[in-house]
Amino acid sequence: MLITFPHMGDMSIVLKTLFNGLGRQVSVPPPISKRTLELGMKYSPETVCLPFKVNVGNFIEALEQGADTIVTCGGVGPCRLGYYAEIQRSILQDLGFRFDMIVVEPAITNILKNLHRVAPKQSLPNIYSAFRLATAKMNTLDSLQQKVYRLQPREINPGEADSVRLQGVREIDTAETLTALAAVRQETESKLDSVKLRSGIQPLRIGIVGEIYVMLEPFMNQDLASHLGNMGVEVHQTMFLSDYVNGHLFRKQEYLKLFQHLAALAQPYLRHTIGGHSLKSIGHTVNMGRKNFDGVIHIFPFTCMPEIVAKNILPKVSSDANIPVLSLTFDEQSGEAGLMTRLEAFVDLLKYRRSSQTAADPD
Amino acid sequence: MTVRIGIPRGLLYYQYGALWERFLQGLGAEVVVTGDTSKATLDCGSVLDDVCLPVKVYFGHIYELAARNVDYLFTPRIISVAARQYCCPKIIGMPDILHSNMEQLPPLLDINVNLHQNGCSLYQAVIAAGRRLGKNPLFSLYAWHNAWQNHRREQPFFCPCRTDRQRIGLIGHSYIIHDHQISMNVIDKLSNLGFEVITPDMVSLCQAAAAAKTLNKKIFWSNSHHMAGAALTLIQSTPPVDGLIFMTSFACGPDALIGELIKRRAHALNIPCMLLTVDEHTAEAGFVTRLEAFTDMLSRRRQPC
Repeated sequence: MLITFPHMGDMSIVLKTLFNGLGRQVSVPPPISKRTLELGMKYSPETVCLPFKVNVGNFIEALEQGADTIVTCGGVGPCRLGYYAEIQRSILQDLGFRFDMIVVEPAITNILKNLHRVAPKQSLPNIYSAFRLATAKMNTLDSLQQKVYRLQPREINPGEADSVRLQGVREIDTAETLTALAAVRQETESKLDSVKLRSGIQPLRIGIVGEIYVMLEPFMNQDLASHLGNMGVEVHQTMFLSDYVNGHLFRKQEYLKLFQHLAALAQPYLRHTIGGHSLKSIGHTVNMGRKNFDGVIHIFPFTCMPEIVAKNILPKVSSDANIPVLSLTFDEQSGEAGLMTRLEAFVDLLKYRRSSQTAADPD
Repeated sequence: MTVRIGIPRGLLYYQYGALWERFLQGLGAEVVVTGDTSKATLDCGSVLDDVCLPVKVYFGHIYELAARNVDYLFTPRIISVAARQYCCPKIIGMPDILHSNMEQLPPLLDINVNLHQNGCSLYQAVIAAGRRLGKNPLFSLYAWHNAWQNHRREQPFFCPCRTDRQRIGLIGHSYIIHDHQISMNVIDKLSNLGFEVITPDMVSLCQAAAAAKTLNKKIFWSNSHHMAGAALTLIQSTPPVDGLIFMTSFACGPDALIGELIKRRAHALNIPCMLLTVDEHTAEAGFVTRLEAFTDMLSRRRQPC
């Protein structure tokens, strides 16, 4: 059994650790490239959302390099993600690939059954420690990323913090024990702490809300966060993989509380959950308006149903909460130049807005 | 004075409109339904971004009603109409989209209907609607019961009997294929070309659900579940339909997957299947050409070589 799975940001490191810990060989799909996207576009339905197409590309490339088992997620709607696997399986079978597909549905019996298929002879302590190392890596990756977002607008040599992080990511990937991981984390953090910073600047603060896949996968959002960092913006990404896993899978109290808080903030605008992350997109926007953020960027893949509803509600939220919102749709045609132009225009607007506010309000 | 309630002729109106009208009339209200979709409806609806055509059309109808001096707009938030199924997220979020995009809206009767986990939700919604109009629960339930009895008698049944005309299964949301503006009268056009047209609403819920059992995973959107089931009923009956047209609106979320599913099943059974996508820019000439090409092909298939 050679397992593969779709890419989503640094998720491959986490899943690789998990499956290796469960005693399985893993074939990580090649990094998402133009070819991945082209393969996905060629064999997927035309107007399906982008994550579907990229997943198909990932699977084809992984099956080509010898994987025979695909692990992917299911769902119960109303977002389309829940029905991805059914169609993807049929597309790949028609292309002549032979493989097993393990679809993890959000039900505890299904998870246990699948765990048994993937790791039939593992003892419970083994399974526990595999999960523990994988989640520790996930939390480390996310906290390093968050730290880099804070440093990027302030660093003297642009790109320094991110290159330190990338070095750390490579070491995290190879760390085999919790102690080794802790050492890597400490070392990377101290390196980040010694990055030279300009003093006395107050960068623009922009929150990123929207759909998780586009937010976490730099290839999809065309490195949106780095571009903003280089423009001198402090990026606040509202969702990381750890938030999703701790909130949706482990259902930890603090995340559930946060979700209730966001749902309450979104209540006047969207009074029922409609799948995806639309409720959180709206809740975060209201919240950031209250916390005096300079702006919000709302990102989602073209034809994403829940976020389209959010997009049509956000203009009202934006004017009520007095915070500018830029909605960006990503599809396979999105070009980098167009994105840069829009980001520059938005950042200029926010700078102008901030300077006119300080002029009007001298204290 | 009787209360005037406006119902927009769009989205789920094509499935439940008659039921709603009878129910509201039973509650003693005067019901105002908008007319057929027109170019002007489309223009009004186009203020929304990125949404599919039927949602724009719905918005256009609301626009028309808002100008017609009604006391309430009947826009129920239909979250789910069956256990463990949902409606499309855009339909669920519709009342919120209306609130955020229109100033000076008459009050909405946006009662929640959510049968996803709770089968009693329908009755709670009925009672809530009645209460908003000042009626007591028993009166509301009685009005609903009357309306529902009529609705139930109208349930269809598909019988695959032989006819001399060739048959085409036209699969699509009822708010697409029965809206003359969106569908460009596709049913009449196909009939005029000499074909018998079978739509999903001619296949009963039971028949469709039985056929959909052959799917690996149950589809969690009610409408799509019925459409896929109806398509499977039509292509698996003896004799099967001669061809299948899957009509969808550009950027319809569920249809992107369901269309692919149906296309694959039809091809496996060697039944021609055409995907027909419409949006507000679709031109009639190109549309007719595609229908003619498809029907010509079906006619030639039937002739012995």
